[in-house]
Amino acid sequence: MTCEKCDFKGYYKFKTKKEAFEKSDFDSSGFSKVIEVRNLTKSYKDVLAVNNISFDVKKGEIFGFLGPNGAGKTTTIRVLLGYLRPNDGEAFIFGKNIKDNIVDIRKNVGYIPGELALYEHLTGKQFLDYFSSLRNTDLPLLDDLLEIFELPLDKKIKTYSKGMKQKMGIIQAFMDDPDVVIMDEPTLGLDPLLQQKFYKFLREEKKKGRTMFFSSHILSEVDKICDRVGIIRDGDLVALESIENLKYKRGKKIRVKLKGEPKELTSMKNAKVVDGWIEFETEGAIDPLIKKISKYTVLDIEIQEFSLEDIFMRYYSGGEE
Amino acid sequence: MDFSIIKRILRFKIAIQTVKENMKATIIFTLLFAGMATLYSSFYPQFKDLLADMAKDPNVLNTFGGLTGGSGDFASYIGFLNLELYSIFFVLILGIIIAFISATIISKEIESKTIDLLMSNPVSRKQIIIERFLGLIPMIIIINFFTMFVVYGVTIALGESLDFFNLFLTHLYAVPYFLSLIAISLLISIISDEKMKSSIFMIALLVGMFFLEYISHLTPDAENIGLVSLTHYYKPYTTLKFGEVDANGVIVLMSVTIVALVISILYFDRKDINV
Repeated sequence: MTCEKCDFKGYYKFKTKKEAFEKSDFDSSGFSKVIEVRNLTKSYKDVLAVNNISFDVKKGEIFGFLGPNGAGKTTTIRVLLGYLRPNDGEAFIFGKNIKDNIVDIRKNVGYIPGELALYEHLTGKQFLDYFSSLRNTDLPLLDDLLEIFELPLDKKIKTYSKGMKQKMGIIQAFMDDPDVVIMDEPTLGLDPLLQQKFYKFLREEKKKGRTMFFSSHILSEVDKICDRVGIIRDGDLVALESIENLKYKRGKKIRVKLKGEPKELTSMKNAKVVDGWIEFETEGAIDPLIKKISKYTVLDIEIQEFSLEDIFMRYYSGGEE
Repeated sequence: MDFSIIKRILRFKIAIQTVKENMKATIIFTLLFAGMATLYSSFYPQFKDLLADMAKDPNVLNTFGGLTGGSGDFASYIGFLNLELYSIFFVLILGIIIAFISATIISKEIESKTIDLLMSNPVSRKQIIIERFLGLIPMIIIINFFTMFVVYGVTIALGESLDFFNLFLTHLYAVPYFLSLIAISLLISIISDEKMKSSIFMIALLVGMFFLEYISHLTPDAENIGLVSLTHYYKPYTTLKFGEVDANGVIVLMSVTIVALVISILYFDRKDINV
């Protein structure tokens, strides 16, 4: 079916009557929420790992979950999958509360763990057989996946390289065609060539309408493949935006080279002097600043969009001033 | 009522995987115990007279009495089998092996982090515990009854007298003993996230219980301390000799099994799975 609003093509898996009319399944904009996280808090003994975070992942999007190591990405994912019990808050997948329905939910969720550990004593084939028997469902995508991510299936997994193991992680997550796939830093350990292959694969999967939750600490890949991003730092969700919006809202970076270094400009709150250039970071309209600059002799001027990297660094280093 | 968990468990996929994982160990220990049983029972004719002399010496009886299950008999064929084969190799050594393997059954998945992928499948935590438990049972059945057949064969070869129904009962009676060991080991394996720690703890526990039971036979005043020992409830001698099975012992062993399993399930259900 095709979405009327964004012309996005996807498919819809018909649910039972009861499921289809569950209230939390659709929000007011008509997009179906696949994952809903509400005020989730998780602490280990006295360390607060995730602090009261809330966000949604909509059907058919790739949601980037971005943050430095130790920010709480993995903890959030492990709570979502039912491995950890939250101290507070709740989460829904397909509109079902994870607290009571996690086994049912997992039928339709693929997962690539951050620290992927496979059964090393099994061969690739034995492993896939074991897992398909546990899923107890068809594996419509297995052949395609094995074609994209080739693996020596008759060899024991302990002989696999890190990249091969990671491929196995990808295959098992997608093979039974789940509605949503949760990935915890899935590109870790993939060589650049394989990374590109994987990004391409994810984009194809998105076209098919699959929802993906993609955690990463690498900004460029999130920029490349995700539609929306949540940025988490020290357990707090510090941003939740579409990537376009995030860039737009942060304004622009203006660099000027002037004759002399007028105090009026260099003393401004958002200005700093670097190698004879004065750099401004602006939010909103740039006109007032340009008017001020125009009073001086301009030797050179550059106006740049913020890169996601700049934005990211600001969030990472303490963020919102 | 929701039967979905029962339906999922009835497919026994994790249990079958557990059996496969332990197949090599099962074969090795089956052969080892078969060999041991052959070796020890075939020694009997050579030691027969010596043992009969030793049995007349009260000091020897004091030392070995604890191992004879209180019977004091180690000179007859049954007494010899009981002392050499059942009391030590079966109750203690095989017990240690079973406990060692069972105590790693969950902890090794947590330690090696494979639990993460396992739990991403539509399997519940209860199901993991129950199937892991079930998957360990074939190992004890195979080792236990294979050893029985070997004892049977050797006995016939030696021309000794032994009631074979009693022999069967003795091995049947061993099943609840081993089940209780598996269940306790499983519980330890869930509480500890490190497989070596859980295994070593179980060995220490079993050896400790064995010696408590041993001491309780040697010291009349300490008779009751044997009650805390699992080995107290499996008495191969009386079964082998008289075909008597201590019903209370079986009830205690089965209760221990069920209680340990229930605690395992409750504990695992609430446990945070960290890797």
